[in-house]
Amino acid sequence: MGYLEEMAKYQKSAKQKEFGADFLVKEDIDQYEFWDEIEIGKESVLPDKFEVKAEDLIAYAEGVPDSNPIFYDDAYARKCGHDGIVAHPMFGTQVGFFVMRKGHGSWIRTPGARNPGQIIEYFDPIKVGDILTMKIKGHDKWIKRGKYYMRYMTETYDQHGNLKIRYYVTLILPRTREDVLKFLKGEHALQA
Amino acid sequence: MEKRITFESVNCGDILPEVRQLVDQEVIWQHAAGSMDYNPVHNNPEWCKTAQVFGLPVTVMHGNQTMSLMCKVVTDWAYPSGGRMKRIESKLVRPVPVDATCVYGATVTEKHPVGKGQDFVTLDIWARDEQGNTVGVAEADVYLPL
Repeated sequence: MGYLEEMAKYQKSAKQKEFGADFLVKEDIDQYEFWDEIEIGKESVLPDKFEVKAEDLIAYAEGVPDSNPIFYDDAYARKCGHDGIVAHPMFGTQVGFFVMRKGHGSWIRTPGARNPGQIIEYFDPIKVGDILTMKIKGHDKWIKRGKYYMRYMTETYDQHGNLKIRYYVTLILPRTREDVLKFLKGEHALQA
Repeated sequence: MEKRITFESVNCGDILPEVRQLVDQEVIWQHAAGSMDYNPVHNNPEWCKTAQVFGLPVTVMHGNQTMSLMCKVVTDWAYPSGGRMKRIESKLVRPVPVDATCVYGATVTEKHPVGKGQDFVTLDIWARDEQGNTVGVAEADVYLPL
């Protein structure tokens, strides 16, 4: 059994089942953005929305893995002072990968990317029933110790225009399209 | 219900209960499904043998899974009392190869009695492997109830 089939047993929610799990499809290369081409300051509102269902919040908590009932048990979470089951603080990761799968921001799906750490600010808690829209902006890119860093500022809003989270998504990327093509073939392509 | 955590009950220097987690390939795959981060460096053992993104011929844990488990230290402690995260900023300093066990912990470093229901504390959070190497650190601000 291949690794994609192995992972499929964990894909339970409707969004997980329809999401493309393979980052190594060569035909998708034109959907990627590359470090040396990304325009800082470019801003857009992503066309895909994310309607939050309980199964989405539960899928993230299961993936931590975290069995705290605040993530699963609506009555318990309300008794604890929350407005229903809680979105894990890193739930924005699922939202980001779901809505940034192609076009602007798709560099987060780059084979060969490394995660140096993230910054997240929380405003209004994400809840079941929220319909989330994401605004993204090229925030900064820099070179440090031979590594190529990329940072976007993303803001996630609900259907009422309330800001939910601001997430500075940061990765170390392969520098060029050619480097990413090497990684697609399973070749190492980092200078540092 | 667990002991209620309030802003008044917490002091600088308080140490939060630790979290421990074995990260085998199944745990990584489940995190990939939960986060929708299907980068092959985490999920595809065959690809990692040659691509060696981190100079290792094996898969590594998601950096955001390390962050998620650092958050678990906070959510276990504060969320049953109605606390919630205000901000987190992390640095991931060392890759965590598959089948590692890591421990996660935190200390209260600051109290911010800003009032109007917005009182919060600041935590230093850490993640270490079983050899004691730091794999990640974070600073988090957490709202606590009165």
